[in-house]
Amino acid sequence: MSDALIRHEPVSETPCVAHGVRISLAPPMQRYTLRARYAQDLERVFKVKIPSKIGASEGGIMCLGPDEWYLRRQAGATIPTSEGLPVAVADVSERSICLVIEGPRAAEILMSGCPLDLDQFAVGRATRTIYETVEIILIREAEDRFHVEVWRSFAAWLWMAMTTAARH
Amino acid sequence: MILIHCPYCDEKRPEIEFANAGQAHIARPLDPSGQTDAEWEAYLFIRANPRGRHHERWRHVHGCGRFFNAVRDTVTDKFEATYKAGEPRR
Repeated sequence: MSDALIRHEPVSETPCVAHGVRISLAPPMQRYTLRARYAQDLERVFKVKIPSKIGASEGGIMCLGPDEWYLRRQAGATIPTSEGLPVAVADVSERSICLVIEGPRAAEILMSGCPLDLDQFAVGRATRTIYETVEIILIREAEDRFHVEVWRSFAAWLWMAMTTAARH
Repeated sequence: MILIHCPYCDEKRPEIEFANAGQAHIARPLDPSGQTDAEWEAYLFIRANPRGRHHERWRHVHGCGRFFNAVRDTVTDKFEATYKAGEPRR
């Protein structure tokens, strides 16, 4: 993780507050992509239950595909070693940033560009999807709070698109 | 927007998350060097282009990332079935 002093964020660090919605940048996090043929092998590494249904999340671990999980931890956290087990754990902390969309209009703002039916997207679910043309990971933290994980290089555009939608 | 059933996610997802990946059930010859030029050409380039029921590979690229097979009607654009890669032809 890069030094906080030289950290340069691709989007504004001042939250965008509009009618019924607030869009802000989440603090830096540790992110890992986990790959394994069998979830049990990851359970032996992390000693927690690994969700096996695609779209489910448990304890900060989200199941994105049949052999793919995404783990987020607060900055500075460490994870156990997976040495000797048939799993791949890669640190992708700086690959993406996280936008927090919250407020009663949060789902409406997301649905301006995301084709998922968010009425059917229960709290605790997480999935890779698309916003307009940008790939995102969408996480429903609460009824009116979403996390949007987006690659840094797409973040400036996504911020512009979402804040524009929020101000309409 | 069409909704496509992803057999891995086991739910209907918007078409924009998917990418078409050509005709399905084309097996690579086990012994490529034993093929005649005509056979190799057929394997590489010759594809069916039916009017109606067509077996295709699709990829849930902005989702679980997996390839799967689908039966789609090329006239109506309706998906008759989708099933996991490796399962027998429907």
